[in-house]
Amino acid sequence: MGAGAILTVALAGAGLSYPLGLLSAKVRNVFATAVSALLVCLVAAAYGRSGEHVYYSGFLGLDLILRTDALAWFFAITVSLVGCLSVVFSLRYVRGREKVSFYYFALLLVNAAMLGIVFSGDLLSFFIFWEVMSWAAYLLISYNRGRALYAGLKYIVMSIIGSCAMLVGLLSLYAAHDTLVISELAERIGSRGTGFLLGVLVAFSIGFGIKSAMVPLHTWLPDAHSEAPSPFSAVLSGILIKMGIYGFVLVMYALVGLKLLLGLRGAWVSFNSVLCWLGAIGILIPTFIAVLQTDAKRLLAWSSIGQIGYIILGMGFATSLGLTGALFHTFNHAVFKALLFLAVGAVEYRTGGVRDLNELGGLIKRMPVTFACALVGGLGLIGVPLTSGFVSKWLIYKTLIAEGHPFLALAALVGTWGAILYVYKLLHNMFLGQLPEKYAHLEAAPFTMRLPLVVCGSIIILFGILPGIPLGAVGPIVGSLGLEPVQATLTGFGPQVGPLNMVSIFAAAALAVLAVLLVLRASAAPRRVAQEDSYAAGSPVPAGRYHHTVRFYDPLEGATIGYLRDWADEFYTRVAGGARGGFDGLRRIYTGDVRNYVMYIVCLLAFLIFVQMVWHIW
Amino acid sequence: MVSPILLIAVPLGLAFITPLLGLARKGAPRYVPAVAMLFNLLVSVSLLPDALRAPIVVRTAGWAPPFSIHLVAGPLGLLLSSLIALIGLLVAVYGMDYIREGATTRYHVLSILILVGATGVVLTGDVFNLFVFFEILCISSYALVAYWGDSASVEAGAKYLIQGAIGSSFVLIGIGLLYGAFGALSMADIAANVSSVSSFRLFVSLAFLITGFGVEAAVFPLNAWLPDAHSSAPSSISAILSGIAIKAGIYAVARVVYTIYGAQSILPFVALLSVATLLIGEMCAFSQNDIKRLLAYSSIGQMGLIVFGLAMASATGVSAALFVVISHALAKALLFLASGYMILRTGSREVSSLNGMGTRMPLTSLCFTVGAFSLVGLPPFVGFASKFMIVRAALETADTFFVVLLAIALIGTVIEGAYFLRIVQGLYFKPAPQQAREETRKEPPLSALVPVGVLAALIVAVGLYPGLVERALGAAANDLLDRDSYVQNVMGD
Amino acid sequence: MSLLSPSIHYVGCFSLVLIGLYVVLVKPNLIKVIIGINLMDTGVNLFLVTVGYIQGGTAPIFSEAARQPEGMVDPVPQALVLTAIVIGVSVLALALALTIRVYGHYGTLDLRKIKGLRW
Repeated sequence: MGAGAILTVALAGAGLSYPLGLLSAKVRNVFATAVSALLVCLVAAAYGRSGEHVYYSGFLGLDLILRTDALAWFFAITVSLVGCLSVVFSLRYVRGREKVSFYYFALLLVNAAMLGIVFSGDLLSFFIFWEVMSWAAYLLISYNRGRALYAGLKYIVMSIIGSCAMLVGLLSLYAAHDTLVISELAERIGSRGTGFLLGVLVAFSIGFGIKSAMVPLHTWLPDAHSEAPSPFSAVLSGILIKMGIYGFVLVMYALVGLKLLLGLRGAWVSFNSVLCWLGAIGILIPTFIAVLQTDAKRLLAWSSIGQIGYIILGMGFATSLGLTGALFHTFNHAVFKALLFLAVGAVEYRTGGVRDLNELGGLIKRMPVTFACALVGGLGLIGVPLTSGFVSKWLIYKTLIAEGHPFLALAALVGTWGAILYVYKLLHNMFLGQLPEKYAHLEAAPFTMRLPLVVCGSIIILFGILPGIPLGAVGPIVGSLGLEPVQATLTGFGPQVGPLNMVSIFAAAALAVLAVLLVLRASAAPRRVAQEDSYAAGSPVPAGRYHHTVRFYDPLEGATIGYLRDWADEFYTRVAGGARGGFDGLRRIYTGDVRNYVMYIVCLLAFLIFVQMVWHIW
Repeated sequence: MVSPILLIAVPLGLAFITPLLGLARKGAPRYVPAVAMLFNLLVSVSLLPDALRAPIVVRTAGWAPPFSIHLVAGPLGLLLSSLIALIGLLVAVYGMDYIREGATTRYHVLSILILVGATGVVLTGDVFNLFVFFEILCISSYALVAYWGDSASVEAGAKYLIQGAIGSSFVLIGIGLLYGAFGALSMADIAANVSSVSSFRLFVSLAFLITGFGVEAAVFPLNAWLPDAHSSAPSSISAILSGIAIKAGIYAVARVVYTIYGAQSILPFVALLSVATLLIGEMCAFSQNDIKRLLAYSSIGQMGLIVFGLAMASATGVSAALFVVISHALAKALLFLASGYMILRTGSREVSSLNGMGTRMPLTSLCFTVGAFSLVGLPPFVGFASKFMIVRAALETADTFFVVLLAIALIGTVIEGAYFLRIVQGLYFKPAPQQAREETRKEPPLSALVPVGVLAALIVAVGLYPGLVERALGAAANDLLDRDSYVQNVMGD
Repeated sequence: MSLLSPSIHYVGCFSLVLIGLYVVLVKPNLIKVIIGINLMDTGVNLFLVTVGYIQGGTAPIFSEAARQPEGMVDPVPQALVLTAIVIGVSVLALALALTIRVYGHYGTLDLRKIKGLRW
């Protein structure tokens, strides 16, 4: 019952928001907010109820089924939460722009489709919701026009490629096992050889890999995330790419199952180790590409690819620690990446669309709340203790160490260093340093924009200190997927995993901060200097030099920029360009001379008769 | 129970009294096609349930098959004739206001004749009548392609005519060879006597018939007339040509291959041709700058998909192909009709002239988007359901050959997605050309909005409830595949 | 004579078809192409009549002279040919009408120059 009602509310909300918008903008805004808030409440209220029921029997001879289990609920709450926050944020962000009703319609539809994906009990409805999500997202990415059109097209073309691969994968399963219901498939899946299963998994991985921006299928993401409207970037980066992760977990663990999964190997590598290595590459390179970006949203986009790398790395190991870490990190990343995108969105909103890191600065004085929240989000992204990001990364590191993979661990570690660099660059260039003259009279972000930021920030800190709450939700999932759940306490982990108590760390940190404050208080008070009152070699520094953001990591950039190119993207672009040329060449067969056309007809006839005459094959 | 023969006789009669009506009242002819097709739609749909149980065989002049000229209104025939009547009705309503210039009376007569020809093709049980109805279809479409009389449409009409005439000659040679071999023209009678095509003489007749009918069916490499003709015809006629006429061609090919010859051995080659058709259609459409030409090339691509399904020779494959026939007829008719008024308003067929249409013609653009999404195969539109069935059928054959072809065909789908979604972006997210910006919103008249809206609603409805047509599809596929029961039904005991 | 006689008709009509096809494929003039199509049509019609021909048969009319159907040629192909001729004529008429319009627009009948629609 629960899932059906939730989906009905979500889809009806999306459908109604458009006609309501034609009546009155205010009613529509209230309605959209109410629906998305209601969804959070409904999901929270029904959380944990498990069930399975047919909601549409006989779609092309197949039954469509809704199913709820621990995994579905975990993703559902993430989706509805981030979805709700982005709707609240949108209230001001899109006000006064064109096609606002359409925007809400598409945004609510994306959220509804994602809920549909996680509640699907069979692969056909999974696929249908997946496609609805894809095209609705394509419309939203294109919303900003201009360069966004290219981004949207790139996104949807890659996504169609992915869904074609997925369709082949899921229908191969159907052809082999005569059902698409996940629970029935899970029982029958072992009856075919591992080669078949490997093929199906690879097909699914292409689909999920494209959606979750796994390297080397990530190339749509930097464009799409940076060009989409910021609240939707939060949805994209926060939850939409996580649907790929959901798909991976569903197919690898719920469908294929642990035992078969570990036995899947090609000639000399196993399936999950390939995933792990792809994850590690996804941590390393994109993270450092992110460091080079000067566009705030592009930086965050590349960082998303890197963080997805962590999740895939944790998930690929097929151990309970790794999976727990991956799932927890999925949630964390959704929260802090949504927060960061929304923060950038707030800045973008107030500065009139500026997100070039070289032109911002000093906004801490104008937007203190936004800065504080972005700081929390950034720290979470790095994985500083007392944020939830620390706990999930700790679990992933622990997995790497326990499984004995020094290279992968090194990759993860280097990725974290890179994260420190780009988070610092982002926060510094936007909020710290000198405030440019033109932003001197900027107002703070409006309340509806600050609210989602504060909510996200609080979640990060709360779950950082009390990681037992989300881990309590992750435990049953890991259990239901056939692994031993990690023993977690409210404040961390018991001795079986390696003791970790966040409350004691919190106490220690609080003491340290207190001590620093005391020391600072005891030392001499700093003297404030006016901005123009600074000199170099005796002459005043020109105003343009105050802001040290251009070429932020100059030596590092100089050393790495030659290597850190998006090879995959260049390759795809070249292939697409070549294909385009080829297509144009091919069109020349329609020469315009009707005698050539008649010749084609005669040739086919002659060919048919000739083949039969010579070989008698027909 | 009404006789299926009325499906042909009534519109044919109406077509011939249309000019007289025109003499009596000036405005009368433009309503005739709609009346004729409404009649056909009602009759076909009312006959369909009976036909699903057993085909209705109509004998003319009291002679029993194989000697008589007879109609076989089986599930396949009636399904297609319902589709023809439906699309025909909507296009006829559209044509009431769309066709204002030129010889309008003749336009309406010819548009009925195209549809009568197509209905006759799908209902006849006699191979020579198949040819005759086919010619009615072709000749009226040659004339209608050239309707506007400008250089492009006249050129397209002439080229189409030359290729079509060659095709017809081939068909006639094939029929002659068949008659020489069996002394019969009834498809069922011939089918009862053909056991294999391996005899060279029989195969030659098959080759002639496939090539001849294949010209109209737009299979590569016989489809060079299609982009010219579909793009130069009036948009309403493009909708009929793309939605109906090429389907009649493919029906004829399928009947010949399956029912008359039972030539399963040639199907792998047909599958190869189909994938080539699909890829070439989509590739040519990709960088096309003329919206109607783009739609025409996309029709070629979809025909490839249909033939691919038919070539699987399995019940699921054929019913999937028939489902694509329906979904493509709905979507492509919608796209041509919607783009018709867009082109009329902007006066240009360039794809870029559609930019910003979302604000100028919001309802039309919305329907256009629905059609485009359906063709790309996105749920919850009907194109998804049909594409899903094709993929399922291909994988269920468990034949590496078909799976490889499927993978290639899916590349075509990706290309199709790229160019259609680019157009959709243009509709909504690109600024309108400079001169069009001052224009206020102006939707087409109701006579165009209604058909376009009905088509969009059907696309969504059948997409959500494929059960609406599923049963008929299965029976129709069986009609095509099961030669023995076809022969038995027609010939009597 | 007796060797050739059963198949000489076929040779004749297929030669006509091939000549017609040759004209369509090779001649650049639109009128000539239409003549070629017509030649093909004639060949095909001849072929259809030939199919139903019986050596020494009479016309398929039940007259005093011939009461037995065995001695008659097959009437069905002749009926077909009548239809086919009608169709052929209408195609020809339409083709010529279009040719006039094409000439009006392009000022030439050279198919190498009538290439407004391509690619």
